[in-house]
Amino acid sequence: MIASDYFNGEPFAGTRLPRRHSAEVRVPVRPTPNLLHRYANPGQFLRLARALLPWLSSGAILFLTIGVIWGLFIAPADWQQGDTVRIMYVHVPMAWLASSCYLGLAVCAVLSLVWRHPLADLAAIEIGPVGACAAALCLITGSLWGEPMWGTWWVWDARLTSMLVLFFLYLGHIALIRAFDEPARGQRAAAILALAGVIDLPIIKFSVQWWNTLHQPDSITLTGAPTMSMMMLWPLLICTIGFTLGVAAVIFTRLSAAIHESRARQMMARSRLDRRDSQVA
Amino acid sequence: MMHLPNHWQYIAVSYALTLGCSLVLGVGAALRLRKSKARLAAVEGHARRRERSAS
Amino acid sequence: MTRKTRRLWIVIACVACVGSAAALTLRAFSSNIVFFMAPSQVKANPPSPDRTIRLGGMVMAGSLHRINENGTPVNAFEVTDGQAAVEVHYTGILPDLFREGQSVVALGTVQKDGGFTASEVLAKHDETYMPKEVADELKRTGKWDPRFGKAPDASSWDTMTAKKAGG
Repeated sequence: MIASDYFNGEPFAGTRLPRRHSAEVRVPVRPTPNLLHRYANPGQFLRLARALLPWLSSGAILFLTIGVIWGLFIAPADWQQGDTVRIMYVHVPMAWLASSCYLGLAVCAVLSLVWRHPLADLAAIEIGPVGACAAALCLITGSLWGEPMWGTWWVWDARLTSMLVLFFLYLGHIALIRAFDEPARGQRAAAILALAGVIDLPIIKFSVQWWNTLHQPDSITLTGAPTMSMMMLWPLLICTIGFTLGVAAVIFTRLSAAIHESRARQMMARSRLDRRDSQVA
Repeated sequence: MMHLPNHWQYIAVSYALTLGCSLVLGVGAALRLRKSKARLAAVEGHARRRERSAS
Repeated sequence: MTRKTRRLWIVIACVACVGSAAALTLRAFSSNIVFFMAPSQVKANPPSPDRTIRLGGMVMAGSLHRINENGTPVNAFEVTDGQAAVEVHYTGILPDLFREGQSVVALGTVQKDGGFTASEVLAKHDETYMPKEVADELKRTGKWDPRFGKAPDASSWDTMTAKKAGG
């Protein structure tokens, strides 16, 4: 199967195009790899991750340091919420990351279901817990913001409920993808769940416009001017970039580790087979 | 204008939780990558040695 | 059609089906998802006094009366959506953000006389985030009174406060 020889050390040298001078180089058995396969090939991915990781992680640290200091100490207090508005600088990035990680899961689901891409399944396993963390943090910081400002930890309005549904979708995905002895079956089931759950994303986004909610409408929209002072918008933007870079770095690192682990497992399994063969002989 | 009390506890807990979780995730991922690299290297070295002794 | 293309179409069809099913369900249930009722809705068809509802709207300017009865604050204020107003009675401490002109959501029952007895009052702030200094300046110069409506556009704050500082 294609999937298995992806993870072995050498065989994906076969996916490279034959070099000019060596006529006897074996042409890949598979049909010529398309762009998708070339860039999502684990070896290519490891190289990409190794090149990007230092930039991602140092960028995340830089942006988060500036953003958190700006948000906590320099940005002005809101005229009615006072200093409590500073929770926004962590709450909004978490909401954004929870949604975008789920979108990532859905993209992985399509790649896995349609193109049977092995890297997509590994990525789905690694993105899930990170997104679940973001969703949980979004709910918790929202609760910590709601109690002093609205006067309640939790209400069952459309925005809060749909966000809670997203958190449960993450939990379901995490459980489902690990639920079967045969990994491929769990990955298939989890991919279907991820795709079905995508419907929750527009519901979260537009819940504050479609229904009366306690949660206020979005301050930043694609169409209109932000209803927020620039003095607050800048630190929010910087914090969002910082957290996004950080999550990208974490996912890249986890995925690299997963590829290494999978290769090591495969080599172990093969050497065990070899040993059995030699014993039989 | 009414005076708003400063809800610093809520702010502190929010930031501590978010940054703490990010730190745990980041450090955990880095350690896991290091461990998996070392393990793969060990397994590969073992396989090479066996191959050499077999030939 | 290759296997991959067929799988792609199956996935697209499934997503479309689930999506439209969810959209239709949400449309059908949209009245139940509504978190609160507006005063005009309450006035038009008043719910029975034994039903607990949420009433949402703006606290009318100048309508708030607070009295202290044996240490517990008793509040009376009117909630409006611009078309109708409902008088709300609430015994207890109001949230910090409560003020005239603020949006609130009150949980309670409609009395026979049309008044509303709340057991819980939540403040609903809007999506405008404005530095305190800007708000003070706008209020001081009389360009905006928070009791009577939404804050002006964020893009105009600079010029509105700068003009005053210059002149």
